[in-house]
Amino acid sequence: MPQNELMTRSNPTSRRTPPEEADMNMHSMTVRGKDRYKSGVLEYKKMGYWEPDYQPKDTDVIALFRVTPQDGVDPIEASAAVAGESSTATWTVVWTDRLTAAEKYRAKCFRVDPVPNSPGQYFAYIAYDLDLFEPGSIANLSASIIGNVFGFKPLKALRLEDMRLPVAYVKTFQGPATGVVVERERMDKFGRPLLGATVKPKLGLSGRNYGRVVYEALKGGLDFTKDDENINSQPFMHWRERFLYCMEAVNKAQAATGEIKGTYLNVTAATMEDMYERAEFAKELGSIIIMIDLVIGYTAIQSMAKWARRNDMILHLHRAGHSTYTRQRSHGVSFRVIAKWMRLAGVDHIHAGTVVGKLEGDPATTRGYYDICREDYNPMRLEHGVFFDQHWASLNKLMPVASGGIHAGQMHQLLDHLGEDVILQFGGGTIGHPMGIQAGATANRVALEAMILARNEGRDYLHEGPEILAKAAETCTPLKSALEVWKNVTFNYESTDMPDYVPTPSVAM
Amino acid sequence: MRITQGCFSFLPDLTDEQISRQVQYSLENGWAVNIEFTDDPHPRNNLWEMWGLPMFDLRDAAGVMMELNQCRKVYGDRYIRLSAFDSSHGWESVRLSFIVNRPKEEPGFHLERHEVAGRNIRYTTRSYAADRPEGRRYG
Amino acid sequence: MDLDIADMTNTVNLREELESVGIVEILAQLDRELIGLTPVKTRIREIAALLLIERIRKRLNLTSEVPTLHMSFTGNPGTGKTTVALRIASILHRLGFVRRGQVVSVTRDELVGQYIGHTAPKTKEVLKKAMGGVLFIDEAYYLYRPDNERDYGQEAIEILLQVMESQREDLVVILAGYGDRMDKFFASNPGFRSRIAHHIDFPDYSEPELLAIAELMLRDMNYKFSADAREAFIRYIALRKTQPLFSNARSIRNALDRMRLRQANRLVADLDRVLAADDIMSLEASDVLASRVFLNDGSMTSSA
Repeated sequence: MPQNELMTRSNPTSRRTPPEEADMNMHSMTVRGKDRYKSGVLEYKKMGYWEPDYQPKDTDVIALFRVTPQDGVDPIEASAAVAGESSTATWTVVWTDRLTAAEKYRAKCFRVDPVPNSPGQYFAYIAYDLDLFEPGSIANLSASIIGNVFGFKPLKALRLEDMRLPVAYVKTFQGPATGVVVERERMDKFGRPLLGATVKPKLGLSGRNYGRVVYEALKGGLDFTKDDENINSQPFMHWRERFLYCMEAVNKAQAATGEIKGTYLNVTAATMEDMYERAEFAKELGSIIIMIDLVIGYTAIQSMAKWARRNDMILHLHRAGHSTYTRQRSHGVSFRVIAKWMRLAGVDHIHAGTVVGKLEGDPATTRGYYDICREDYNPMRLEHGVFFDQHWASLNKLMPVASGGIHAGQMHQLLDHLGEDVILQFGGGTIGHPMGIQAGATANRVALEAMILARNEGRDYLHEGPEILAKAAETCTPLKSALEVWKNVTFNYESTDMPDYVPTPSVAM
Repeated sequence: MRITQGCFSFLPDLTDEQISRQVQYSLENGWAVNIEFTDDPHPRNNLWEMWGLPMFDLRDAAGVMMELNQCRKVYGDRYIRLSAFDSSHGWESVRLSFIVNRPKEEPGFHLERHEVAGRNIRYTTRSYAADRPEGRRYG
Repeated sequence: MDLDIADMTNTVNLREELESVGIVEILAQLDRELIGLTPVKTRIREIAALLLIERIRKRLNLTSEVPTLHMSFTGNPGTGKTTVALRIASILHRLGFVRRGQVVSVTRDELVGQYIGHTAPKTKEVLKKAMGGVLFIDEAYYLYRPDNERDYGQEAIEILLQVMESQREDLVVILAGYGDRMDKFFASNPGFRSRIAHHIDFPDYSEPELLAIAELMLRDMNYKFSADAREAFIRYIALRKTQPLFSNARSIRNALDRMRLRQANRLVADLDRVLAADDIMSLEASDVLASRVFLNDGSMTSSA
């Protein structure tokens, strides 16, 4: 009987050279017939989890993993093991498989490629039959795909890079409760990014002081203000206090400007009952939007999305905690997968990176996230880290939010990188303005409108940006001083997560 | 006060030349431009009156400007806005909307607070202009 | 006017100027596509030359006027008026006299309404679509019905006249129709006459020109006449011209369509025959002679 090489680790010094890509995807090694179910230990690649000839069906869920096997472990076997451990396999052969249509339920790794420029890492493509998943449940989908396998000993590291969700499965989800188009219609705001700010300092303000910041920012020209992820109900400000003062601020700012305004009231709490209570109160006060944190969990997110759809509420999601598993390139879950899950789960806003701000995000990868949020169809685009064609089956669009270390002086770059359907959140860039919060908000709004005007006029706004802003500042003192204060602020650090495929310039023939 | 609805309300009022460039941008995107006017600019009043139908199949902004000038002759004392509609699948709504005419005086809004149980307040926003009958609200 | 010295001493290279705007190509296309029509082509070259100079004068600040460019095209149906309108629009566009260069082609029905209050919106609708390009009004004289004082056409005329005068930089109007009727129309609507800068008369095609047109059309469709068919078609043209409702190139196109139909039926009638590509391309004399045009012609009775 062949020994499972994952169980008996080969001598780490006799490291095998990875086979060439051409050889890697050669043929099936599946043991068939009654030998397959003989008691004992069989290599995963011989159990039917490695099927290089398998043609994925349109209804299959496909996952792409970055597999880093322990030294000496065959990448094909490691990839087959990932397929096995994320579907039907256990470490030994079980006769009870024979009571089931086991071949259908087995996930099938059908392709393994070495990762360009990353020795020791492999991209494993694994297909899962639709029947493995409960309709409309992110909890079930994620428990299957990332449930057990990430701690598997024969792997040094494992990362879920991307997923192809079949239309048949997409249609079992509600999708964003409101969506970009309806959000714009409700707010009567078209043709420009929306503007927001997170109230600062995030901890310590009383309800009354907090309301002051909200009013000043909204009256000054922002569309939204936002609670921070850890603003829930603390000794310095309990949640009802915050909600009441915030809604006074929102209504006063609406009357002062004639515009619809909103503030994301964070309803994140310890239990679902608490969250529903807070959401109901927000609705009773006339808020158009509530907010939750990613840390409440997928099931709670889906519950809140359904509540939001039933109650005409926009649902903002702060991706609190995601960097613990999205940031490192070799291990965890890529944010693009989280973005896909959140579009299915049904939130309306998701923080998706700024490119130019203080938080992680290279331009190409971020572009990939934004496309996943906003397009009805994502074609495969390796240079943006998008590995599959993805149809969204007319699920609503999800509004990406750019937040963290951005300011008015970057408006041309933000518009160029992030486009029009995005919320730009200038927290420090509003509240830290030397002339006050209203002035800070006005500076941002004027910079934005001037840039949109110029773009629509066909100007090369990316290159003429500083000039366009300077011209707009001639009639707007707050903008002039914002440009002056933050003129040298940039955050240029190497990204830790970038696409593996870089487009090569084509040679003109 | 100055109502800041629409895409360009924080900039100085657009000149006809600037309006015309925004219209041309819309037409080149294949959007139909609509002229709408109102004397009740309540933030939730999204149904402004239409000046004719949205203009489909235009190539040049001059056509829209011709209508805008006609509309200004009749309703120059009110708010007038241009909205550009995108009929493509997945959007099927407005893509760009901005104010192109305002009354000389903008009286703004009154915020009414109706105090109810606990410390809750029910808010109502009322346009001061709407105190007077339609058509006699400005000037 | 701030004429500076640099401008005055600037030399203008006409050839470069002409080539840079790309109208040479349009004029060549006109020559290629349209058989005959020599006087029309000459007029268009003259207008193009005038506009080219006008453009240079504008650049040198020697003029600030927006020139009147509205035109009238007179001639019988099928003499190439619509085709020429398309080329004129391209020339105007390349030279910067219209911003977009589209041609919106209408007749009375698209401009004039059926009831009170219907006409102005209809006319304006058309004008708005034509802004930035050329409005081509075919059989323009139908707008004016002297026999009916309350005809809504008058309303359309007034709107047109006003826009032709006040929005010369926004669109060019071309009025087209039969020569004699256009003359009467202009006589009773002097407003139009005074706003038209260029009159172009489209002569009928001669018989050899009509034959050349037919052969050009056939070549474009990958057909050809056999020698006999060509002879028969020459006789066809001579007969057809004398009959009612003859409309030059348009009648030729219709005749060719019917001949292709007959040829197809002739070929399909003999299913066992093995065909060469040449057979499928060729129109034979019988395809031509089966035309009703030859019915009343005594000399043909024996050959049908």
